[in-house]
Amino acid sequence: MIWTLILLSLMAVIMIVATIVAIRQKDLLIAVFATAAISLGLSVFYFLLQAPDVALTEAAIGVALTTVIFLITIRNTKRYEKVNKAGQCKE
Amino acid sequence: MMEILSIIGYIFLSVGAVFLLLGGLGIFRMPDYYTRVQAGTKASTLGAMSTIIGVAFLQPDWAVKLLVILVFIAFTNPLSSHVLARATYKMGQKPLSKENIDAYEEVDHSTSRKPVTNKTTK
Amino acid sequence: MKKYVAVVLLLFFGYYLLLSFLQLDFGRADERMAVSKDYLHESVATNKVANVITSIVVNFRGFDTLGEVTVLFLASTALASILYRRNKPGVKVPKERILTSASHLLHIGAKVLFPISIVLGAYIFIHGHLTPGGGFQGGAVIATGVLLMILSYRKFHVNHNIVSWVESIAGIAFVAIGFTGLIFGTSFLENVFPVGTLNALMSGGAIPLIYIAVGFKVGAELIGLLDNILLNNKELKQ
Repeated sequence: MIWTLILLSLMAVIMIVATIVAIRQKDLLIAVFATAAISLGLSVFYFLLQAPDVALTEAAIGVALTTVIFLITIRNTKRYEKVNKAGQCKE
Repeated sequence: MMEILSIIGYIFLSVGAVFLLLGGLGIFRMPDYYTRVQAGTKASTLGAMSTIIGVAFLQPDWAVKLLVILVFIAFTNPLSSHVLARATYKMGQKPLSKENIDAYEEVDHSTSRKPVTNKTTK
Repeated sequence: MKKYVAVVLLLFFGYYLLLSFLQLDFGRADERMAVSKDYLHESVATNKVANVITSIVVNFRGFDTLGEVTVLFLASTALASILYRRNKPGVKVPKERILTSASHLLHIGAKVLFPISIVLGAYIFIHGHLTPGGGFQGGAVIATGVLLMILSYRKFHVNHNIVSWVESIAGIAFVAIGFTGLIFGTSFLENVFPVGTLNALMSGGAIPLIYIAVGFKVGAELIGLLDNILLNNKELKQ
């Protein structure tokens, strides 16, 4: 029980860090992979909380399909966010 | 009998943990993208397979399922790292070497990157 | 003056909100949640389904699942309508994708892994009433297998007619099973098929049938969506 709790808190820390990276990062490719990392952590979370059904869905859709769709979108548009000098997004 | 099996299982688990640690260390310490990929792939494949074999010794009932997972890892892990390394090569990342040797270029003519001039052998 | 009125009003509402929040009991089981006990008992005793979650999702809350599938269908259709390009009479649409060609190793690997992922997805949704998983999960796994093929082969194309037919037939099958319950029983989606023995593959009555239909539908939707996105859209960029 205590190991599950430790693993859960570790996953929570990883997910929070990945979320911050996904929000702050100006390189959208890295942001997409951070989103995939969030999904992976969430999948482990669901599995540890004894919901393997939801974990399967999250692993298949969140990690694989959503990431690929985002990657194709980046490929067809542009990779970097435009930033002005004040640090805010232009568009 | 069960004690011997569990001791063998724990030995395999420790070997797997050591190799996974070495793989992580390799990704952290290696100088170049390609060396990082090979460190991550080889060490983590062996570590994961050894861990799974250890689990199979600890829980003999799961052996068939674990064998399937083992084959899957042995198949997909090198394949995915090959694809990653090839995509990086296609993007134009040069391998880090003192003598500027690039053996893959002779094999693969469809790359878009510029030819590497061989300076040291002149 | 306005500020004081606002503060008094806020305090007033806050007091009543606090009262209602204090009535919630944290950390204690609520006696009113007897319906969960009922589900746990009924899904094993009456429906003969080992995986209680499947029984709840498909049988007790089957109408919600129908709504979910409809939402997914609408999203897929909307995306297709955005990405659809009418073939101009003069312009010939190239058959190859914009992706660079993959290596020989990846071609062979994808060829070996594609049937495995299809079989795994089919296993997940056929065994939805016995093991964790179900139609949505199995469909997503099948779609990832097709995604691997699409990414590896430049000329791999999914036949859109077949995909849309599979999707329509699966959706019609779901509604037809629901109407069977309405005709032979008392309500929509009632489990009127014979339930077998617990833990057998042929058990649960309509539940595995519905999950197989959901699996085909979700898989076809996701495959069609991926193929729509990954088509050669050089014209779209301009």
